[in-house]
Amino acid sequence: MNRCEDIRSRLTMYLDHELEGHELNSFEAHLVECVQCQAIFEHERRFLEAIRQLRPLHTASTELKARARAIIQQVPETSLAPVPARSRIRQVRNQPRFWAGAAVATLLLLIIPAAVWLIRTNHQSISAGPSTFALMAADTHLRHTRGQLPLEVVSDSGDKLSNWFVNKVGFEVKLPNYQDSSGQEKLYRLEGGRLVSYQGDYAAYVAYEMKQRPISLVITSQTLAEATGGEQIKARGLTFHYNAIDGLKVITWSDRGLTYALVSDLDERGQQSCVVCHQGAKDRDFIDPLKPR
Amino acid sequence: MPQAESFRSNFGAAALEQIDALYGYALTLTRDPAAAEDLVQETYLRAVRAAEQFTPNSNLKGWLFVILRNAWLNNLRHERHGPRFIELEAEEQTGRWIDDTANDPYVLYLRKLEREEIRQAIDSLPILHREIVVLRDLEGFSYQEIAAMLGCPAGTVMSRLGRARKKLRQVLGAKQTGTTARAV
Repeated sequence: MNRCEDIRSRLTMYLDHELEGHELNSFEAHLVECVQCQAIFEHERRFLEAIRQLRPLHTASTELKARARAIIQQVPETSLAPVPARSRIRQVRNQPRFWAGAAVATLLLLIIPAAVWLIRTNHQSISAGPSTFALMAADTHLRHTRGQLPLEVVSDSGDKLSNWFVNKVGFEVKLPNYQDSSGQEKLYRLEGGRLVSYQGDYAAYVAYEMKQRPISLVITSQTLAEATGGEQIKARGLTFHYNAIDGLKVITWSDRGLTYALVSDLDERGQQSCVVCHQGAKDRDFIDPLKPR
Repeated sequence: MPQAESFRSNFGAAALEQIDALYGYALTLTRDPAAAEDLVQETYLRAVRAAEQFTPNSNLKGWLFVILRNAWLNNLRHERHGPRFIELEAEEQTGRWIDDTANDPYVLYLRKLEREEIRQAIDSLPILHREIVVLRDLEGFSYQEIAAMLGCPAGTVMSRLGRARKKLRQVLGAKQTGTTARAV
C-alpha cells in the first residue's frame, strides 16, 4: 500500500475525528503536500457536511415533549434521587419480591457448594461484555489485517522491536523469543510493530503470524486499561478474560502494571496464540486452562 | 429534600434536552411516527425508573440511546410472536421537520427540498446502514460510543459506516444527477 492509499484508507476516520497523535500528525502532514488527496478529502468533507448540517433531522411533537415532561415529574422523588446503598437495601426488603428472591437465594446456597465442587476452580464464567480495551484490540487487529494499519517497524527480532518502542511508549516492551533460545521448530513469526492510540496515549502493537494466520498483541499501561469483562479464567495467579468479538478470539489480562490483549482467529479460545510468549513445556499449565472444557 | 430536587431537575432537564435526538433515532428504527413516539415515552419511563443507576456527569445521551435501542429490540421480540411487522414505504413517512430560520421563502423552499431528499435517501437505506448514519453523522457519537451501543468492535462501526455512506451517496447521486459530484 503506497502512502496515498494508506492516507485515503484513513480519510473517513480523520473526518470523524477518530485519529489521534502520530496517526493524526502524519495524516495532516501528507494532506498539506498531496493535491490529489486534498481533492478527495474536500469531496468527502462537503458530502458529510451536507448531511450533518441537517441535524436535527426530526423534532419531537409538542405533545410528546409534554408527555415526557409529565413522566419525569410524576416519578416519586425517591426513584430519581441517587440512593445510598444501605437505604436501598431497606427499600428492597420492604418489597414482596425480595422475600421470594430470598427463598431462591437460600436454595441456591444449598446448590452452589455442590456446583462448585463439580466445576474446576480455575474456571469462572462471567457474562460481562468485552472491555473497551478488548474491543480496541480486536479493532486494531482487523484494521491491520485489512492493510489499514501498516507496521511502522518491520522485524522478526524481538530485541529490535523492544528497542524501537523505547521512548515511544511509557513502559518497557519485552518480547521473549523462546524459539531462538530453545532451538525448537519455529511455530510463529514475529512481523513487526507500531504505535496505536488508546485513551489519549500510545499503546504498543505487535504483529505475529502463525500458520499463515495473524496474531496481534496490544500492550498498554494498567492505569489506562484494566482487563475486565468476558469469561474469566484463572491460571498461575493471573486472571485471563476471554471474549469472542466478531469472530476473533480476544484474551486480555493485567500483570505487573501492564494490560495485554492477544487477538487471533485461531481455534477454540485462541489459546494457541499464547505460544508467542509461552512455548516451553513448563508453560503448558499456563495455556491448558484456556482450552474450552 | 433539596439534594433530590436538584438531582430531579438536573437529570430531568438534561434528559428532556435529548428528546429530538431520541425521537429521530426512534423514527430511524421504527419508520413509524406513532411507534417512534411510543418508543420515546417508554425510554423516558425506563430511564426514570433506572435513574439511580445513572452515573452523574457521564454520557446521558448515550445512556438514553441504549435504553431506547433495548426497548425497541424488546418490542421486536414480542412482535415476532404476534402480527408480522411490516415496514412502511419511504413515501408514507411523515416525520416532522425542524423550523427553518431563513426568512427568504425561496431559500426555505430549497432547504426543505434538500432536507427532504436527504431524509428520503437515509430512509431508503437498510436499517443497519440508516442507524449508523444517524448515530454518527446526525447525533455525533464516536466510533467507540457506537461500538458500545451496538455491541460490536469499532472496526465494524467504521466499515458499516463506510458502506452506508457509499450507499447514501449513490442514492443521492441518483436523485440529483448532474448536481452531485462523482466520487473521485
